[in-house]
Amino acid sequence: MAPPTGKRVKGVQIFRPFVYGTTAKPFDEKTNPKPPGVPDDHTHSWTVFVKGIDDVDITYWLRRVQFKLHESIPNHVRMIEGEKGKPFEVHETGWGEFEIAIKLYYVPESAEKPQTLYHHLRLHPYGRTEAEKETMRLAGGEIISWAYEEQIFNEPYEPFYEMLTSGAMPPAHPLPHGPGGVGGGGAASSAASTPTQPGHHKSNSKSSISGGGGKVKDKDKDKDKEVQMIRSEGGVLERSAMIPLVNRPGQPFSRETEQVEIKKLQEAMVKVEEMVKKSKEEVQRKEARLKELKAEAAAAAAAAGAPAGK
Amino acid sequence: MASNDLRDVLNLPSDSSTPRPAKKQKTAGPRPNLKGLAREVQNLGGDNPIAIVPEVSFYKKRRFASRKPAARWELRPFTNSARNDDGALVLRHWRRKTDHGPQADALPDGPPAPDAPGDDKPEDSAFAKFNVKVSVPEYTDDQYKANLQNNDWTKEETDYLMELCRDFDLRWAVIWDRYDYAPEPPPDETGGHGFTAVMPAPRQRSMEDLKARYYEVAAKMMAVHKPAQYMTRPEFELYEMMQNFNPEQERRRKEFALNTMARSRDEAREEESLLLEIKRIMARTERFNEERRELYNRLDFPATDKDIASFKSSAGLQTLLQNLMSTDKSKKRNAGPESATTAAAAAATTAATATSGGGGGNRRESVAASSSRRESDARGPATSAEPTPTTAASATAPSGSTAAAHKKKGSAAQQPERRKLSAQEEQVYGVSYHDRLGSGPTFRYERINKLYSHKSGQQQLRMTNALAELDVPPRLVMPTAAVTAQFEQLWGAVTTLVDLRKVSDKLDAEIRLEEAKKAEREKAKAAAEGKESGNGGEEGAGGKDKEGEKKKEEEEGKEKEAEAGEKKEEKDGEKPQDGTGTGTGTGADKDGKESDKANATGGDAAPEGAEASKAAAGDAPADGGGGSGAADADADAASIKEEDGAAETAVEEGDGEGEKTGHKRSASVLSAGSDKSSKRLKK
Repeated sequence: MAPPTGKRVKGVQIFRPFVYGTTAKPFDEKTNPKPPGVPDDHTHSWTVFVKGIDDVDITYWLRRVQFKLHESIPNHVRMIEGEKGKPFEVHETGWGEFEIAIKLYYVPESAEKPQTLYHHLRLHPYGRTEAEKETMRLAGGEIISWAYEEQIFNEPYEPFYEMLTSGAMPPAHPLPHGPGGVGGGGAASSAASTPTQPGHHKSNSKSSISGGGGKVKDKDKDKDKEVQMIRSEGGVLERSAMIPLVNRPGQPFSRETEQVEIKKLQEAMVKVEEMVKKSKEEVQRKEARLKELKAEAAAAAAAAGAPAGK
Repeated sequence: MASNDLRDVLNLPSDSSTPRPAKKQKTAGPRPNLKGLAREVQNLGGDNPIAIVPEVSFYKKRRFASRKPAARWELRPFTNSARNDDGALVLRHWRRKTDHGPQADALPDGPPAPDAPGDDKPEDSAFAKFNVKVSVPEYTDDQYKANLQNNDWTKEETDYLMELCRDFDLRWAVIWDRYDYAPEPPPDETGGHGFTAVMPAPRQRSMEDLKARYYEVAAKMMAVHKPAQYMTRPEFELYEMMQNFNPEQERRRKEFALNTMARSRDEAREEESLLLEIKRIMARTERFNEERRELYNRLDFPATDKDIASFKSSAGLQTLLQNLMSTDKSKKRNAGPESATTAAAAAATTAATATSGGGGGNRRESVAASSSRRESDARGPATSAEPTPTTAASATAPSGSTAAAHKKKGSAAQQPERRKLSAQEEQVYGVSYHDRLGSGPTFRYERINKLYSHKSGQQQLRMTNALAELDVPPRLVMPTAAVTAQFEQLWGAVTTLVDLRKVSDKLDAEIRLEEAKKAEREKAKAAAEGKESGNGGEEGAGGKDKEGEKKKEEEEGKEKEAEAGEKKEEKDGEKPQDGTGTGTGTGADKDGKESDKANATGGDAAPEGAEASKAAAGDAPADGGGGSGAADADADAASIKEEDGAAETAVEEGDGEGEKTGHKRSASVLSAGSDKSSKRLKK
């Protein structure tokens, strides 16, 4: 690809949700046997990953990811190239927790510098309370430490902007109909119904840019269908910034979770406001008391001064 | 056949008398059907059959042919489910009997499916299905409070409007006609009473007002039921349309339509001519703008992003000047034909006019500079006369200018190319618009990290503790835009809370201090009172009363000093100890030899012997220092006694009696000295 010739699109911010984190599992005779060649002192197998929310493809904006592991691990800087539809991940074994630096390299069209995230590898149950730890212990032995994050592109370059704002399509799953079977959508529908083919995304997005007249109409019709498709599942579109409506197993981040969190924060807010009010009152009371005391002191001093003058 | 036609055309007699078979066949078709009189009449017409006759016969025949048993009709009861009386009203209508299955199906207006024989229930009217209801948005009280509040509309009136909408199936003209909302139900006896005078006048609502309110409610309720992001396209379009309803625009549209309908023929003609005129004017301005742009292009100067070192010498400047002149010339020359010829012609000669910007800008860049130069050389004598540029600088200048032109063009071309995203698309693609943005990629969580990093270490700790107290996890689970915004709010609130707590702590400390002071004062007061009584009892010499008073005052002053010290270095471990040391010291003084003390400090403070005592004090500290060098601060009273004893036993005696002033003075000096030494130790 040629370097971006366009300018930055002013005043525009585009975000993409994604998930990163680690999943660790202790070695166990039955469930998770130690593969041969693993040193004796290693107690856990773990995976660090970066992936799209709802497992959608993110390689259209994220080209590769560098995971910087602990220096004691052989070959501790791992560069993972993007592979369509697959998460960026590193599988390792070990015995200790450490901080992993995750460096994200964006696609060349974006012309953006790589950014770094830090994530603490968790091998043992963690949490603020014992109860939290216990629930984690009971959750099938897997220690999950995932974080939701939103990648924000401020003022992207024009080609990248085009990439980010086109080609949303339903999650890549086999459709019941062949290309011709759906409503006679023609070329556009065939492109949409075979999203697993790597080349098609690009061609589709291009067609949406340059397409005129009838083609655009077809596309609109198609999009309509897509939107309906995702809506029925509560899932998200490929190449979109959508967040699923509800939680599903293995997908803990959704509007539902968001709402819960907002509610929690609002409750905390209410509490804080109450506390602020209370401490304001307290401060006022204290100020009054101090004033009183000071006045008393002044009065005493005056009283002490008066007889002296006699 | 062909020869037949030819003969016909040439008016030659045909040797074969047979007419054309085709025609014959045509007429042969219907003939066999006719019988009797009809056939005779038909024959009268010859080859051109009379249309009426067979038709009549056909009709007759049909009528007689379908001599089947007459269809049976029966009077059957039916109900209309559209009525809300639950089938109470049963009317009857004539229906064909449907004993024979196929016949019932053949009936075009037959009742729908549920018509089984033996069904004793009266059938439903075929017209019941036309009783459709529009779905008018519904809302609960809570939803109304949360979403639909409007200053202009009360809930009652909104309800009333919705009811009308339901009643009249959104036929706005009817709704508007029937709309008669009175804020309060008018009293029945309108004639007799004066109540009517106080009644609030019902508001006059235009149809646009009603519509606007209805659409507002409908759109909001739609969004409440389903976030806009997850609507299907038709739903979203409807939503957007309702949301964007502009009553003012609607009113103007109607007014405009009314005016358009009402204008006369002359006015219409005038309008048409005016429109034409406008078109002409527009075309002219367009052309004018085009020319102006051309002019600007011509005046375009080379971009200065190149190194200017080569132009610093006079020779460099010379080449630059020549260069500029040459580009100017070529521009002029090339712009000439372009403006003269049509756009199509210009497109045909793009290669030649490449340097003049326009559509050729792209081309120019791809073409090597030398080749374009050669082309322009070939174009005319004027170009051949132009000096061939040799330096790199001269080569960059024109290409720079064209690059700048190209850039301008490119942005102008790309601006409209960028699609306008619909609101839905914006949500799907997560696009938002901001006034100020630092360009480049960031993460949503970074904002929160920044919140932390803007605080000092101690503040960070305080904030973390406060948040933990609130049961807010250290990292947000889902830092989406909404969550981060909420968190920022919370952060602000917690910051004020922490600040308040700090203030409160400070106040606490001050209050404690003041209270300590107060306690001290009270203690002192109590002591002074005791002393005073002691003084009063023991008062031997005149004027001692005054001295005692003075001493008390001084003591207080000292105390204050000590307290000030306390205030300054409250946390110092030593100071309070010292303070208590002096406290006990003075206490011991007070207890042990009150009169002595009174004399001592009294003497110290006495104005008449000030100098003398000072001179003595100068010696005394030295003595005291030597004497009590080994002794500790707490041994003040004892050391005083010792010193007293060592120095002058008589003094002590005198002190005990409290008579001799001279002795008194020396004692006072000594005690003052010890005081001083103890003070020094304190320090």
